[in-house]
Amino acid sequence: MTEALEFLWPSFLVAVCLVGIHVYFGIQVLARNVIFVDLALAQIAALGATVAFMLGHSAQSLATYGYSLAFTFVAALLLAFTRVWAKRVSQEALIGVIYVVAAAASILLIDRAPQGAEHLKQILTGNILTSGVNELAAIIPLYLAVALLHFLLRSRLTQSGSLFWEFLFYSTFGMVVTSSVALAGVLLVFSFLIIPATIGVMFASSLSRQLAIGWIAGTLTSAVGLALSFALDLPTGAAIVCAFGAALALAGMVYCLLRADRLITLGVAVVAVRWLGAALIAGSAIQLAVAPREDQPLFDMLEYAAPSLRSLYFTKVESATFQDSNEYAERHRVSAEQLIELERARRTQGEALDEAEVRRISSFLKSYGEMRKGEQFVMGEVRARARERIRWGASLVLLALALLLVPLSWRGFWSRSAV
Amino acid sequence: MALRLLLAMWRYPFIIRLCLGVLALVQLSPAQSKDRIQVITTTTDLRSLTEVVGGDAVDALNLVPANFDAEEYQPKPQDVLRLKNARLVVRVGLDYDLWFDRLLQASAKADIQRAGPAYVDASYGIAALEVRGVSFGPGDGHAHGSGNPHYWLDPKNAEFITANILAGLARIDPDNAKTYEANREAFLTRLAQKVGEWEERLAPLKSLPIIAYHNSWPYFARRFRLEFAGFLEIKPGVPPTPSHLAGIIQIMRARGVRIVVREPHEPERDVAFVAQKTGASVVVLATTVGGLPGARDYLSLFETNVGALVEAAGAR
Repeated sequence: MTEALEFLWPSFLVAVCLVGIHVYFGIQVLARNVIFVDLALAQIAALGATVAFMLGHSAQSLATYGYSLAFTFVAALLLAFTRVWAKRVSQEALIGVIYVVAAAASILLIDRAPQGAEHLKQILTGNILTSGVNELAAIIPLYLAVALLHFLLRSRLTQSGSLFWEFLFYSTFGMVVTSSVALAGVLLVFSFLIIPATIGVMFASSLSRQLAIGWIAGTLTSAVGLALSFALDLPTGAAIVCAFGAALALAGMVYCLLRADRLITLGVAVVAVRWLGAALIAGSAIQLAVAPREDQPLFDMLEYAAPSLRSLYFTKVESATFQDSNEYAERHRVSAEQLIELERARRTQGEALDEAEVRRISSFLKSYGEMRKGEQFVMGEVRARARERIRWGASLVLLALALLLVPLSWRGFWSRSAV
Repeated sequence: MALRLLLAMWRYPFIIRLCLGVLALVQLSPAQSKDRIQVITTTTDLRSLTEVVGGDAVDALNLVPANFDAEEYQPKPQDVLRLKNARLVVRVGLDYDLWFDRLLQASAKADIQRAGPAYVDASYGIAALEVRGVSFGPGDGHAHGSGNPHYWLDPKNAEFITANILAGLARIDPDNAKTYEANREAFLTRLAQKVGEWEERLAPLKSLPIIAYHNSWPYFARRFRLEFAGFLEIKPGVPPTPSHLAGIIQIMRARGVRIVVREPHEPERDVAFVAQKTGASVVVLATTVGGLPGARDYLSLFETNVGALVEAAGAR
């Protein structure tokens, strides 16, 4: 626990810093309606870095950073020009074009630069878990400088203006994105940028309140995401992104409940949930009746959560066969793992295994794999046959359940039919 | 023939001249290496071993550049053309270069298809390690059940690999089979001597557990009796989880791990992170020929890796 916390707190600090600057830019980006601009800028920065690799600079060198920055400035200039465009065509169109062309150009260049592909992947994926205090020391001064500049020029930069101010906005934003994407990856940076800002804009009108709400929501959600990633043993960046998604859904619900017409909203939500539930159950009933041997996502999920549900439709013999196969499959898996472990241990401990012994282990492992597949086949077959047997009865029951869930007035329906 | 075409082409309009020019080039290019057997290998390691067996009689070319992840290689249109011109193909197998199957189909050339006379699966006869026989083995960073595919990193496995290549070359060029056999014998003699040297140099590392980013090293570890005590990567492309990293750091502290191994294309930051937390040093090892500047061929690949490990162990 303490070891995990020991390196979770630098990640949390990095997340707080990223939330700090990105909520502000997020609010600006939402106001300008250029949602995917950070993806375009990140990809352009990656293209710059790729050019640097091709010229022989290393990933961490100042020259590589310089190339990234220079490319970002060119993109900022292009983006500043797009304001003129926006009257006829959405700015998002050009942003999309910058993104795909930069991505495609990077692929073309990488083909000529060994190791480039992996570096490009690293630039765009990042890993917040392994970013630490050293990285913070590099980004904090940059973020503070950008924040100060935006504070001093707030009357010019918080609204769209002349070409120069637009360029200044996009180039400072590009500088921030270039460094934050390298730390946390595009998915996480996009979440930091858009989701807390959206929550802020949802609940407040003035910039200061939007910022305050965004910062609080962003910091809390990052903490929850990090904690979940630790508790459930999940990759950190992806866990935080999903936590941000859940936070937005929650904020959406709260927003509906705070409105004056909340009772109507609640009614609509209940109707929607009932329709959804009915459609899901009816769909599963039809799938079971038509193709009982194919995947049954709803039943599979329920059985996964509560395996005892199988006893509802398995005969005694089927239950016993299923149980037997399950135990054998597990036994084969454990035996295979033990053999792998034995071979691994004998690499350094005791007498080394000779070629014949290794060969024997290898063929035993293959046999265990085949036997396990066989047992899994038996389990699948038993379940498919049981489902085939009960398909008509079970489908009818489910359809009836779906009809009960449908939010229609059945009394009115019957009386109308009688007339 | 080609020269006559070139001279004649000036008499025709531009478009026809252009077509004739292209035709002349197509005629010219295979002529230069017609006498050597064109061999296509998927990786640089197999290319190096093919050159060892084939000597001057073969012209080998690898499809995956050095330091590219061969499991994620995306074939190019030129690759189909290369296969069409190839007389022999050599692949790693064990699900390592699965994309090669579709490329072979695209080439529509009968003799280089699976089980064809000009098809060599270099893994034939290798005793695969860590075979799990299911699609996703737990926690070893490999998404395949056919066993760990990095078998060429045990130099003794070169005996099987070169035997497979020799059999392939002998099938398509039986006249020179004796030469190929002699080439292979000479190489294996040199290799055996080198393996002895490497075993001796790596002997002091037997008691030093090592952590690596990706599980590329079971064959290498078995041959040189090294212990790889853990891997940072859990599954390909999935970043390590906090508790997995905590576990690795715990192992490193408890067992005094001083060396963390990374391949040149793997993320620097994740490896540097655990190394910094535990005071271990990062050693960059190549898994393919050309992966590091010193690893020019199969023998120097091991020479480079052994040197780097010995240096890292000695520096402590």
